[in-house]
Amino acid sequence: MSTQTASRLGLHNLHLAQARRSVLAGVSGEINAGAITALIGANGAGKSTLIQAIMGELTPVSGEVVCTIAPERRAWLPQQLALDLTFPMSVEELVMTGSWPSHGALQGYCAAHYRKGRDIMARLGISHLAHRPLGELSGGQRQRALIGRTLMQEAELLLLDEPFANVDSETVSVLVPILRQMADDGMTLIVVLHDMDHLQRLADEVLLLEGGHAYWMLPDALVSAHRPANPLPFTSGGQYVGTT
Amino acid sequence: MWELLNSWFIAPFDYGFMRRAVVAGLALSLAAPTLGVFLVLRGMSLIGDAMAHAILPGVALGFLLAGFSLPVMSISGIIFGIFVALLAGAVSKMGGQREDAAMASFFIISLAAGVMLISLGGSSVDLTHVLFGSILAINSTALLLIASISTLIVLILAVIFRALVVECLDPLFLRGQGRRNQWIHSIFLGLLVLNLTAGFQTLGTLMAVGLMMLPATSARFWSKRLEGLIGIAIVLAMLASTGGLLVSFHFDLPSGPSIILLAGSGYLLSALFGRYHSLAARLRRKTTPLETPSIT
Repeated sequence: MSTQTASRLGLHNLHLAQARRSVLAGVSGEINAGAITALIGANGAGKSTLIQAIMGELTPVSGEVVCTIAPERRAWLPQQLALDLTFPMSVEELVMTGSWPSHGALQGYCAAHYRKGRDIMARLGISHLAHRPLGELSGGQRQRALIGRTLMQEAELLLLDEPFANVDSETVSVLVPILRQMADDGMTLIVVLHDMDHLQRLADEVLLLEGGHAYWMLPDALVSAHRPANPLPFTSGGQYVGTT
Repeated sequence: MWELLNSWFIAPFDYGFMRRAVVAGLALSLAAPTLGVFLVLRGMSLIGDAMAHAILPGVALGFLLAGFSLPVMSISGIIFGIFVALLAGAVSKMGGQREDAAMASFFIISLAAGVMLISLGGSSVDLTHVLFGSILAINSTALLLIASISTLIVLILAVIFRALVVECLDPLFLRGQGRRNQWIHSIFLGLLVLNLTAGFQTLGTLMAVGLMMLPATSARFWSKRLEGLIGIAIVLAMLASTGGLLVSFHFDLPSGPSIILLAGSGYLLSALFGRYHSLAARLRRKTTPLETPSIT
């Protein structure tokens, strides 16, 4: 399992609103580095709102997000990607763009950068796709390439919104150990999950959003209460069925 | 044979006005198509056209103030173009209207205002000069201005290239690091106005967009890589500007339309015979069962 270290991301009594409508209140807690925190909740519970606040996209009504991770080491892979698939770029080029935030505007790549890029692609099992245009990739291949960019970026904070939605089982089996390794290397990972099986395989901690509030819990408690429920048990009204 | 080549391709440049014109065309061909490639990739192909109209009232005001002085017309064109771009952005934010809708409204107002101003202060010849350019009438000062603007655009593009690529490809990648994309967009629009201002002296406000967009849209038929698109677009623009000048010289045709029509012919030929997405490529794909994907 993970080797948790001191938190570099803290939520302090956050009150968040979208379009003047209160979404979450009283959200507090430390997101541990070196651990994978699963963010769960029904549709509309405020998962995306919380992620936006963590990434600095949304100013809290009150409270604050304290993040000591440098901006160029933060990465965010939302479910609704803004990636332009018609853009003339290959998988290798996409992975290499991960080095740009820390690399600067003008400095070219050296052999070490290319070597690192190739190692990352090999780890993700996409070496054979290195020169394939982005538009010709499947959902799973694209997700692997994007995780590759994050690895190239040497991100220390990674927010993933449903990383396993619409991807093949091979990609899931490749990505799960890689995400685990990233956490073991000290990275702070927050992953939005809907699937109990994925939660069981990945999460060290769970942050459940329900009824405008956040509840911290351990994955084992959630899993044992709902085995073999899959996906997580939410009613159509967005109410979490289990005990929190 | 040599004499024929000489009379067609070398002798016309014995004239000073042709030498200045070809250098102006080549300078523009370095900057304009590169911007055009990014406009196409950002799905903003028509914004270039809108901005070309937006600089017209500024150019007209400069003309009214200082006569046919290219530096004055250029500076007032740049100021007005940026003003209209900001105004369109503000209106779209204020009213929840899409930026292209606001831009479309402003550019047609700008066109009418520009034509009105020039008509008030000059003749129809002046109007034609401003709208359709006069590349053969460029003097050394104007040439220096065009070359300086083109150099500046290329240099700024080099500095913001990576940010521009990332912003086109995946805006959330920058936002994830807490960076605001708006400044890149603003600089890009600023470069667009600068380029159109340089272009209006040679091809006119209405046709300057042609040298920016036609090579860029043609290049999409020949390459699937960004470097390929930019390189091919620049070469096509250089061929069109130099070839257009020669055609206009030999056949006594207006130079601006000759350049743009040549670039337009390049586009049509690319759409017919290009390597990707062209008619020929579609036919090839139908007849070839399966092929390994490859990119240039």
